[in-house]
Amino acid sequence: MRRFLLSLILLATSSPAATQGLLDWSQDEVSAIERHGPWPPPPAHDPSNRVSGVPAAIALGEHLFNDPRLSADGRMSCATCHQAGRDWSDGRARGFGTADLDRRTPSLWNVGYAHWFGWDGAGDSLWAQSIRPILDRREMGGSAAEVGRLLRDDKALACGYERAFGNKVGDNDERLLVDAAKALAAFQATLVSPRTRFDAFRDAMVAGDRAAAARYTLPEQRGLRLFIGTGNCDTCHFGPRFTNGEFGDVGIAFFVRPGEVDSGRLGGLAKLAGNPFNLLGRYNDDASGASAQRTRHVQRLHANFGEFRVPSLRQVGRAAAYMHSGSLATLDEVVRHYSEVSPDRLHSDGTPLVRPLGLSPRQRTDLVAFLSSLDADAPPRPAPPPLCP
Amino acid sequence: MKILAALFALLFANAAWADCPLDLGKGTGWVVFSDHYMIAFRPEPMRIEVGQPFSLLFNVCTKSNSPAELLMVDATMPEHKHPMNYRPTIVAGTNGRYRADGLVFHMPGRWELSIDVRAGEESERLTHDFILK
Repeated sequence: MRRFLLSLILLATSSPAATQGLLDWSQDEVSAIERHGPWPPPPAHDPSNRVSGVPAAIALGEHLFNDPRLSADGRMSCATCHQAGRDWSDGRARGFGTADLDRRTPSLWNVGYAHWFGWDGAGDSLWAQSIRPILDRREMGGSAAEVGRLLRDDKALACGYERAFGNKVGDNDERLLVDAAKALAAFQATLVSPRTRFDAFRDAMVAGDRAAAARYTLPEQRGLRLFIGTGNCDTCHFGPRFTNGEFGDVGIAFFVRPGEVDSGRLGGLAKLAGNPFNLLGRYNDDASGASAQRTRHVQRLHANFGEFRVPSLRQVGRAAAYMHSGSLATLDEVVRHYSEVSPDRLHSDGTPLVRPLGLSPRQRTDLVAFLSSLDADAPPRPAPPPLCP
Repeated sequence: MKILAALFALLFANAAWADCPLDLGKGTGWVVFSDHYMIAFRPEPMRIEVGQPFSLLFNVCTKSNSPAELLMVDATMPEHKHPMNYRPTIVAGTNGRYRADGLVFHMPGRWELSIDVRAGEESERLTHDFILK
């Protein structure tokens, strides 16, 4: 008996993750968990971008991504703010360019699967969104003329362009700006986050492999149960990317400074409508028009004021600074926000989607444990291949 | 079973409704009806996914066999008083056929579809619930 007890204790302490056990999951819960996978999804393809998925365009895009000559002063590239070593963000609460910005730099992980871009969704394609910071005076402050000149004058880039697009660099600067952005988009769409502890658990649950599922710790499981259950988090953080790709107001302060508000999606839709590079314009390569469906039908509602894009939660523990404004420093602060958010601030007419969850300290710890299980180390990136060896 | 038979008997007691084609091409879909209207519809693509644009194909019939018009299609989440973020457009076909493009149910849960129809001076709103998971 003593020997049996001893071996039981040894078993329990030698491999904690393997022996913590499995919660009693209902079939509905297993179905809800299943909807957050499988991961990774098939490679993203954007029909509005004729070089989406083309290896030569991906290579050109990666070179351009790291090229500071896209900026007016030659000092800032896309990679200045979207750093591979910082999970394609900058590790700061708010972004910066030639001036400090009011929003956090979003990570580029899995950006190829999105359908709205930027915190306010002012971009309806990854390539259109890639044009914005190049031209924005507060960021790179570049111009179509400078991008055109760069592609024409740099022999390696000109050669890379010809390989990617199948024609020589022309003299239409606006067209070259769009093509550069399409190559940038082709590269960014390859940034797919690695599989995580959650994915292993999800697949084990779907396969009915209880032993493998039990490697997911009990705090992670309890946090997941809150996430898909009483927390109602998966209503917006839906699907394999943990986002429905749309917009919500989660009770973050409207004011960016005294007397000035960030209107979020409401302003984003106005910018979208006035953007010559949106999917209703002449640079959309999708002759079927199907890729422009959302842009054609999206409506601007009063409720859009103060709404921001629901971010993906993959690699969320590595974001450091959270929410569109970077106003919360840690995941624990984010969970505390949802635990204590003021219902008066959210003024919902119906049953509110976001309401104070009133979580206990252990529940908050469990939710953070679950969210952290959506992180994984990405393998080191090799240097981009030469454009024309 | 008896209830189902009675429902069909009620539906097809009127000759005009018996002529109303319910199959919109894939052998499946939904039917909603009132005293005056019967509307068959199905989605395209066939499976409605959270966050994915879809269309609805309609066949609008009236009890009196008079021509009817599909005026508007919209949807809300009644529990949250949440509208769709997208406004569908309607394209009229022939013989009471319509197509509504640009619908997106952006969250899981119950969505109430509203279908506004008119025949002559009479207009009416019919509804149908979807539970999206």
